[in-house]
Amino acid sequence: MIELSNVKAFYPGGEGLELVNVTVKPGEFVYLIGPSGAGKSSVLKLIYMDIKPQSGFVRVNGFNSLNMKRKQIPLLRRKLGIIFQDFKLLTDRTVFENVAFTLNVTNSRQRDIKRKVLRVLAEVGLRHKENKMPHELSGGEQQRVAIARALVNEPIILLADEITGNLDPLSEEDIISLLEKIHAKGTAILMATHDNRLVRGKNRKIIRIEKGRTIN
Amino acid sequence: MITGYRYAIVEGFRGLKRAKFSTSISIFTIFLSLVIIAVFLIFILNVHWIVAQIQSRMELEAFIDNSYIQPQIDQLLLQIHEIEGVEEVRYISKQEAAEIFREQFGEDAFKILEDNPLPASFQIRLKPEYRSSEPTQNIFSEILKLDGIDEIIYRHDLLMILERYMHIFLVVIIVMGSLLALSSMILVSNTIKLIIYSRRKTIEIMKLVGATRSFIRRPFLIEGIVQGCLGGGLAALLFYLLFKIINIEIPNLIFVDTRIYLLLLILGIVLGFSGSVIALRKFIKY
Repeated sequence: MIELSNVKAFYPGGEGLELVNVTVKPGEFVYLIGPSGAGKSSVLKLIYMDIKPQSGFVRVNGFNSLNMKRKQIPLLRRKLGIIFQDFKLLTDRTVFENVAFTLNVTNSRQRDIKRKVLRVLAEVGLRHKENKMPHELSGGEQQRVAIARALVNEPIILLADEITGNLDPLSEEDIISLLEKIHAKGTAILMATHDNRLVRGKNRKIIRIEKGRTIN
Repeated sequence: MITGYRYAIVEGFRGLKRAKFSTSISIFTIFLSLVIIAVFLIFILNVHWIVAQIQSRMELEAFIDNSYIQPQIDQLLLQIHEIEGVEEVRYISKQEAAEIFREQFGEDAFKILEDNPLPASFQIRLKPEYRSSEPTQNIFSEILKLDGIDEIIYRHDLLMILERYMHIFLVVIIVMGSLLALSSMILVSNTIKLIIYSRRKTIEIMKLVGATRSFIRRPFLIEGIVQGCLGGGLAALLFYLLFKIINIEIPNLIFVDTRIYLLLLILGIVLGFSGSVIALRKFIKY
């Protein structure tokens, strides 16, 4: 489903990736572990085609970086759910509007939008907060909204970039168990983190990355 | 698709409401640019109008041979009328010429002379498109060729000066007009850039969730058009009121083509739209 093969890439302001090999199969939960600046975010950016490889290739659900056109990038991203450490919520919109945003962008019908948004908000446990503004929510709740927004399009994979970095231990645990729940329903997850604690005691596939190189 | 356009319109107006201050600045910038452009345009139109007025008053005066009698003169008048570019020919008889002379110089001059020495003449007015120096000169030569015409006078020198200055004026106008249009465009697009910059987070999220380039651009373009409409409308209103006041105070002081109001509105929309297009290029690269 996702394959990065012998990828070398450079990102403005970043260290650059020397040699990256990553594969994620449908339904897999994969951790991408490495210290800050190792290139974890760049790997995710390669997957959602925010950067192009200088050599090697990236293959995501039928799209290939070698022959992909710029116009196809939005189509690829509609198949992915992306979550960040800083939530990236629109602060001037309600919880409902933030989640609906993804569907508005893809020209969904208003009736479908309402049904899908309420369903996914229920899934992340925020059905009762649909009219709240982001600043009225705790960090953990804001991250749940971000997860709901990523899920509402029924993505083939969730890409999570240090998503527990801004959370207290309790919220962190909460978010991780939510991801486990989502994974249990069949969504693949690629989670980038510098925190080794998160993978301890879990029987998950782990890809380590250091200085722009993945170590298998 | 319809959902997409409706969403863009709703988002566009929402954006205007959300950023009232920067929107007002943008509208004011468009308004100000258009006021400058309009003053410039009105100046050009008025110079053009004055020149046209001078040209329309410029007539050829052809003097008729003193020995010609009325039937011959009538024949001559017809011949001149048939020349291409002639709009109107007016016959001034010897008596009428004497009357005009008396009106202008008093009666005394004729007392010395026993006879009326003034010749009969034709006053010839040309069609507007033949009033510049070259066609006038051609018509001048053709009339002079006719039997019975002694001499023709017209202000060739004035026409030449007028045309030369109009030529220089036109070059200056084109250069200044282009600079003015360009600076307005840069000014407006920079103001709109600030508005878009303040919403870069929204654009970033739109890109991440799979919005197409045109989907992201649409609300901003609608905002640009609305801003342009308001800026252009305000400028048109200002000039409408201004001309109304001037016309009451000093009638016929300036020439106003009423199409200028529509032009200001259209220019406003063009400025707002193109300003948004230029500004968006920086933020949406795919």
